[in-house]
Amino acid sequence: MSGRRVLKAVLVDLSGTLHIEDTAVAGAQEALCRLRRAAVAVRFVTNTTKECKRNLLERLQRLNFDLQEEEIFTSLSAARRLLEQNQQRPLLLVEESALEDFTGLDTSNPNAVVVGLAPEHFNYQTLNTAFRLVLEGAPLVAVHKARYYQRGDGLALGPGPFVAALEFATGCSATVVGKPQKTFFTQVLSELGCSPGEAVMIGDDARDDVGGAQEAGMMGILVRTGKYRAGDESKIAPPPYLTCDSFPDAVDHLLKNLL
Amino acid sequence: MADTSWTSSAKSLKGVILDLCGVLYDSGEDGGTPIPGSVEAVKRLKASDLKLRFCTNETQASREKFVAKLQRMGFDISVCEVFSPAPAALAVLRDRGLRPHLLVYDGLLAEFESVDKSNPNCVVIGDAAENFSYQNLNDAFRVLIGLEKPVLFSLGKGRYYKETDGLKLDVGAYMKALEYACDVEAEVIGKPSPAFFNSVLRDMGLEPHQVLMMGDDLVNDVGGAQHCGMKGLQVRTGKYRPSDQEHPTVTADGTVDDLAQAVDLLLGERGGVSP
Repeated sequence: MSGRRVLKAVLVDLSGTLHIEDTAVAGAQEALCRLRRAAVAVRFVTNTTKECKRNLLERLQRLNFDLQEEEIFTSLSAARRLLEQNQQRPLLLVEESALEDFTGLDTSNPNAVVVGLAPEHFNYQTLNTAFRLVLEGAPLVAVHKARYYQRGDGLALGPGPFVAALEFATGCSATVVGKPQKTFFTQVLSELGCSPGEAVMIGDDARDDVGGAQEAGMMGILVRTGKYRAGDESKIAPPPYLTCDSFPDAVDHLLKNLL
Repeated sequence: MADTSWTSSAKSLKGVILDLCGVLYDSGEDGGTPIPGSVEAVKRLKASDLKLRFCTNETQASREKFVAKLQRMGFDISVCEVFSPAPAALAVLRDRGLRPHLLVYDGLLAEFESVDKSNPNCVVIGDAAENFSYQNLNDAFRVLIGLEKPVLFSLGKGRYYKETDGLKLDVGAYMKALEYACDVEAEVIGKPSPAFFNSVLRDMGLEPHQVLMMGDDLVNDVGGAQHCGMKGLQVRTGKYRPSDQEHPTVTADGTVDDLAQAVDLLLGERGGVSP
């Protein structure tokens, strides 16, 4: 016990960190309970754009994780907030299951393009439609720019490559609303009334979770589950505050050294 | 209004390289339509004392097939005058003993028939159009990410082109997608790669300053040619957009309405043939 009470908030990634598709990371539920018993706020931040918040919550609860909908912050809700602020009508390249988070927005005659993770929309025709809109001046909003993610059958392309394709073709830069954007992390922390220096982020994506959090002034812990591949910790500078085998190990470290 | 300052160098020219799509014809699902006046313009260039070659990033059909298509449109053109990325890629693969995973249009597969594609150790991507499905891109991605050092070849790197029913994303956009996904830089075969332009110049037996390149793509045709020391002329057909005129890094040596006007001005200035 160091007794240094420097930590006020722990942000935790979901997919690849707490679970991989419908399987929980071994010991993750119990580790979350231990973390909750400490005097620290826990929030869940995710770029999982395939699903609306309600689906995410239901899946996690099925896997016996103890969490509430209002503790989850997603890049989809951040995208919606941006569209509402700018009063735009989006062409939504998001999966059916994520549309619920955009309910009520006018999508007729679109003047903005939102790209999430939508394998069934990432085809030649739809990308051409999106491309023409952006070329004519519609803003391009990326729910996040992850390169790839871990699927049951192996690695699969994330939204990032398709955003990069549209950016290259149009010469425009996308507004990215999810991780690793600094504003995404700071928005969550400001609602908790804590500064980045008092918070840690735990995730399996070296760039988007750890790099992004550290860029925002937080500590970043990389876990070797999900999409993690050997050597990922050396892909970001500065390197992660800590790299450990899985979420339970990360919690052990926090409880022992920072809480 | 035609910008005619570029014609001052017309007399010293010994050769012309023409882009195909967007200069000679507009592509489309019906096979494409000649741009008015271009069939005649090619004829007049051929009748002049200028050497003529065609340089295209067309990768939707084998060279034989699309040359035959152009001939059906009425163009005086033969296979040996046309430079396209696939045959150049084939040479590179052979040279380096690489076995490609191909993400190309079905019509291009014939060009790669003779190459060993088992247990691939590189990816070749062309303008695959409808074949750019998530599944196919993912397959290419998995080959790349599974390699210790991913090798990606892109047949051209155009951003988009114009078909009769509108603008379409070109191979460059999908090249960027794979580059971004795998954190690699593609090796571009085709325009604007200097190696590609230089192979055309070698075939013509001319120095770069003796040759004018005409195309509708400011960056890949005009910029690529200028980078090699040629003059680059842009036509206001095909994918041309007025905003090209304010491009931050590439300024064409001249801009003309279409190929027919360019040939009028060029041959008129040389005093050979009256328009």
